[in-house]
Amino acid sequence: MAQRRTNGSKLLMTVLCVVAACRAVPVTDLLDRASQRSDRLHSLSTMLTQELKMPEMAPLCLTISAAFSVQVVTNSPSRLQDSHFPPIGRVIMPRPAMCHTSSLQTPNDKEQALQVSESDLLSLARSLLRAWVDPLLVLSSSANTLPHPAQNSISNKIQELQEHSKSLGDGLNVLSGKMGPAAQTMSLLPYRGGNDLGQDKISKLINFQFLLSCLRRDSHKIDSFLKVLRCRAARMQPEMC
Amino acid sequence: MLLLLLLLRFSGAGVRMKGGLRLVVLLMLSVESSSLSPPGKPVLLGCRSPEKETFTCWWKPGLDGGLPTVHRLYYEREQLEGTHECPDYRSAGSNSCFFDKNHTYIWVDYHVMVEASNALGNVPSDPLKFDVMEIVRPYAPENVTLMVEEKQESPYLHIRWKHPSNTVSRSGWITIKYQLRVKQENSNDWKNYTSGTQMGFSLYSIHPGAVYEVQVRCTLDHSSWSEWSNTTFVKIPNYLQNERPFGILVSIFSTIPVVAALCVLVTKRKYVKRFLLPPVPGPKIRGVDVQLLKSGKSEDVLGALIVNQNFPPMVARKDQMEEYLIVSDGGEWLLPAPLKSQKKKKSSFIPAGFHLDSQCKESTPSQVQENKDEMKSSSNLEQKQEFSGINFAAADLQKGASENFMQRLPNSGYVDIQRQENIVEVDGILVDYSRVKEVNGDNVFILQKENVPLSLDVQRREESMSEDYSRVKEVNGDNVVLLQKQNGSDDSFCTEKGNRYTHCTNQTQRNPHMTGLSKIGVCTDLSSDGYVDTIPAPSLI
Repeated sequence: MAQRRTNGSKLLMTVLCVVAACRAVPVTDLLDRASQRSDRLHSLSTMLTQELKMPEMAPLCLTISAAFSVQVVTNSPSRLQDSHFPPIGRVIMPRPAMCHTSSLQTPNDKEQALQVSESDLLSLARSLLRAWVDPLLVLSSSANTLPHPAQNSISNKIQELQEHSKSLGDGLNVLSGKMGPAAQTMSLLPYRGGNDLGQDKISKLINFQFLLSCLRRDSHKIDSFLKVLRCRAARMQPEMC
Repeated sequence: MLLLLLLLRFSGAGVRMKGGLRLVVLLMLSVESSSLSPPGKPVLLGCRSPEKETFTCWWKPGLDGGLPTVHRLYYEREQLEGTHECPDYRSAGSNSCFFDKNHTYIWVDYHVMVEASNALGNVPSDPLKFDVMEIVRPYAPENVTLMVEEKQESPYLHIRWKHPSNTVSRSGWITIKYQLRVKQENSNDWKNYTSGTQMGFSLYSIHPGAVYEVQVRCTLDHSSWSEWSNTTFVKIPNYLQNERPFGILVSIFSTIPVVAALCVLVTKRKYVKRFLLPPVPGPKIRGVDVQLLKSGKSEDVLGALIVNQNFPPMVARKDQMEEYLIVSDGGEWLLPAPLKSQKKKKSSFIPAGFHLDSQCKESTPSQVQENKDEMKSSSNLEQKQEFSGINFAAADLQKGASENFMQRLPNSGYVDIQRQENIVEVDGILVDYSRVKEVNGDNVFILQKENVPLSLDVQRREESMSEDYSRVKEVNGDNVVLLQKQNGSDDSFCTEKGNRYTHCTNQTQRNPHMTGLSKIGVCTDLSSDGYVDTIPAPSLI
């Protein structure tokens, strides 16, 4: 299995090199641009989560834990309600395990990531990116009426997120065309949360934060995959790693 | 407590111990029995992953509870069944749990919890939920070195550092960005600079002689910032500013000749201007005064023009025109004074065409002239008078010239007759005359050179001089007298005279300009006593 993987990766590398040599714009440049774009995406999502985690959220969390009555937008049931841990004092905040993209199998550590082939990496990145087109629309519409003091800044960042996401998707489409048919495959990860984040203020905020945490994770994945790809494609340029 | 019980037993054996000692032991026993309790609740301080491959969690234990307490860390992980205990309690120090690469997974949630347990019970801490992505925080950069370097005579500070210790692999898995801050030793204002992924930085705005402090920190994939590195100090040496004065001297010396050249140009600007822009010569007309032209008086201008032109003197021209041959035998034939005056007065230009005509004319009948010269001159005078209407401009010049005409000899228009040929001596006086042979046209007389018998003339002359008279043969008109000569010669003479007269009259008739005196064509003058002085044929001049 591993041997096949290494053989496949070697073949793909040679293909990449040939493709890179023949084309006008080298793949390394495209990857560099893509990784810069993904870096910006991840930076924005990180800032958003930090902005949302304001001190006034703390009492909110406490009330939620006391209520146990929050409707959570999830695809899979939570596995964390163990008896080992008493429910009291536990903050029931929806965790990214319930994200709509969690079904996608992705590498979870460095060794795994370095073993994945380039086309798979690219395919993963593209799938993840594609999965957030709809949720970003929901987030954008909700941000306009978000009951939060930093609502304006949040709204602007989401706007920028949408733009970067779109341009990155286009760039990755171009890249996938250069990297062979294996890179063209994509997994479908539909969003089933509906167009509304919640009826009341609290559920709105909670769901908003939940979605943003999912986005942060996925943007980090995309960024990491692309940077690994970039380093691998630019063997002659150590500064890319 | 056990020890105390043992002491009591041994002391009981030794009857009669001190009572105070027993009380103290009892008190101590009572105190000790209340401190035994389950351990205090530990607190998870946090977890940290410095390189996105491993992570460590720390906790703070609670109160001991009197019994030996053991702390255990349990975790759960997304996509992993069950609860697991910390794999490594030692590597990261006390009260810590270290998760190595094999146990570290990213993009999955961890539930971590610490439990303190002793003989009396177990007390769990509050759990901690996190994703490794969220707890990434690199260590501070290392080996921050400062070097003062010089570039183009200005010092700058070059700061260099190394990546954090445990981030060696270059596989693209992590991206570290750096930030540094600088301040002078005495101030409290830090200046922040972002370096990106570069591990070097150049600071140009530094002051020589000051001491600077530098600190560097980093972030990994937009994670939390690391701690600041240890402060590094550097002193900027005082650069002697030797080169500046030299540069100033050079510039001063180079500008001196330029300034000098400029001064020279300015002082001699007239010459320079003349050299560069030679003056254009203006128009110059001799005799024309520009001021006069500007004033606009054309008369003055014309007068000035004329004065300056140096026209040939009118005197000379006049003299040419009016000069004629003046013959004089001596003082006896001099004209009487009034006539002279008359001559002087009546002076005019005589056109060339009228020369010969004038000779035929005689003076006024009132004047009796025996002198040829008189007749000639008078006729000339008459001619002049008659021609006074035709005179030319510059009458002044005429007057001036008239005084001289007697002295001058003609050289144009008049027939020059040599004296020597026809000098006839009559009564001792030479007389110069000739006869007209033929008249051609208006003004051409062909003189007849004939041997006029001198004797006859002399005789006649003598006769006329002494008793110079003859008989009148015939009278024609008012002033025509035909004299009768005793010899034939006289008749011929008279006829000649008559011929002459005829010619003269003819001449007069042809000259419409003649006025008054034109009628006088007679060649002879009537004397008051009826005798006619025979005047010999006037010599044609």
